[in-house]
Amino acid sequence: MITLRKYLKQSATYKVFSHFLIEFANFLDTLGKIAQMGMHVFKSICKGEIRKKELLVQCDRFGVSSLPITLSIVGMTSIIVASQVAHEMVKQGGGNFVGLLMTMLIVREVGAIMSGFAITSMIGSSLASELATMRVTEQVDAIDVLNVDSVSYLFVPRVLSGAIMMPFVVILASVVGVILGAVTADMFGGLPYRAYFDSAWLGLYMKDLGVCLLKAMTFGATIALISCTCGYFASGGAKGVGLATNKAVVWSFIAIVILDMVFAVLFFF
Amino acid sequence: MSIEVKNLIKKFDEKTVINDISFKVNDGEILAIVGFSGSGKSTVLKLICGLIPYDSGEVITSDGDIAMVFQYSALFDSLNVADNISFALHERKDLRKKYKENEIRDIVSQKLELVGLKGIENKFPSELSGGMQKRVSFARAIVTNPNTILYDEPTAGLDPMSSTLIEDYIVSLKHEINAASIVVTHQMSTITRTADRVIMLYDGKIVFEGTPEELLKQETPYTKQFVTASLEGPMQMQA
Repeated sequence: MITLRKYLKQSATYKVFSHFLIEFANFLDTLGKIAQMGMHVFKSICKGEIRKKELLVQCDRFGVSSLPITLSIVGMTSIIVASQVAHEMVKQGGGNFVGLLMTMLIVREVGAIMSGFAITSMIGSSLASELATMRVTEQVDAIDVLNVDSVSYLFVPRVLSGAIMMPFVVILASVVGVILGAVTADMFGGLPYRAYFDSAWLGLYMKDLGVCLLKAMTFGATIALISCTCGYFASGGAKGVGLATNKAVVWSFIAIVILDMVFAVLFFF
Repeated sequence: MSIEVKNLIKKFDEKTVINDISFKVNDGEILAIVGFSGSGKSTVLKLICGLIPYDSGEVITSDGDIAMVFQYSALFDSLNVADNISFALHERKDLRKKYKENEIRDIVSQKLELVGLKGIENKFPSELSGGMQKRVSFARAIVTNPNTILYDEPTAGLDPMSSTLIEDYIVSLKHEINAASIVVTHQMSTITRTADRVIMLYDGKIVFEGTPEELLKQETPYTKQFVTASLEGPMQMQA
């Protein structure tokens, strides 16, 4: 006779529920690992364990290699937004505020968030797959056996380079975005450049620039930390590398949106 | 005494992978750990060098470094041979300021010469053959003059001549630095050419302990099955 317990174990509801619990446990596990690695990196930086040569290599990777795709994505987003609003605002008599709207939008949100997505897809994924490959080919174990702190060695230059280079990338991307917005407003709405740039600075305060830079630093460090953590704890060969990369991208995207929301509430609410 | 393992137990989830094993390895001695795949050989090495924590028991090593030569070399593919070998000298807190750059270069050349690979300092691991990569990983392992060296399947995947070369290096390193060495392998040539003593693992337990000659005599069902590579016997491969 089938018992109630056995029946429940075989039911679809039980399987769905148990799968949900496993996923939730995995979520907490990943969150814990990211926090643990973050603390380790912070301690290493406080102790001055910064490898300058490797930091420069990672800065080049984070800031220079990612520029084409970051500028393209932020630039194209600006073109899309400007092409949608410029014509309509000029028609409704609000042409003088197109520059203001575009600058606020780009400096406060689009510049940082779109750069974050671009950096995640380009640099975050490569950081995760690099560390995951090192893990599955026992290179990380080799670092540990040689008595070198593998977290400090691998994470610190990558996380620091994210925090240092992301603000530069975001500033550059925002400048490109504002300029392309002006070009688009002129082409689609017939708005003169002068009218655009006259209003562009009206709604922009030092606070906006400060928050933008702080946000960029936080995004850069977070993307690097999450990507490195996902790669560092990878297991299981080629499939494991793929899963770690996938996880790094998904977690970084979610983290960017959550952090952006936190910044919006903290500074602009 | 250089390594002593006492009543070591390691479980992964519910499965006991290492089940109460004890052994000793003296300075200048090579112990071979043999057994079929999945018998827990590599796990023992990882427990000894601290890569994975054990559940109970004790690993006692005399003061000094433990080095490990990995099955697939585990060379850092973004660094050239010289940087691979000098990695610990550049990156370890206690060694970072001990040597000047020219001293490090000399040490690297000396270690490369020891494994018969002079003049390849600027090559990258991808430019080397499997056997050369393995020898570079030997050089990297011994750069800090360790008193314990662990070899994880050092001749796996190599052609017979490269295997012989590697086996000779294992023996010559024993004489050179008088380290206690553990070689995990299932290749008979590696056992007979390098080991002073052999232990055989099955199902996480030691089922044989003796010399390579005693292993070859096939006096127990375990040694008989291992040496003849028979499917019939007390050791069953997991499907």
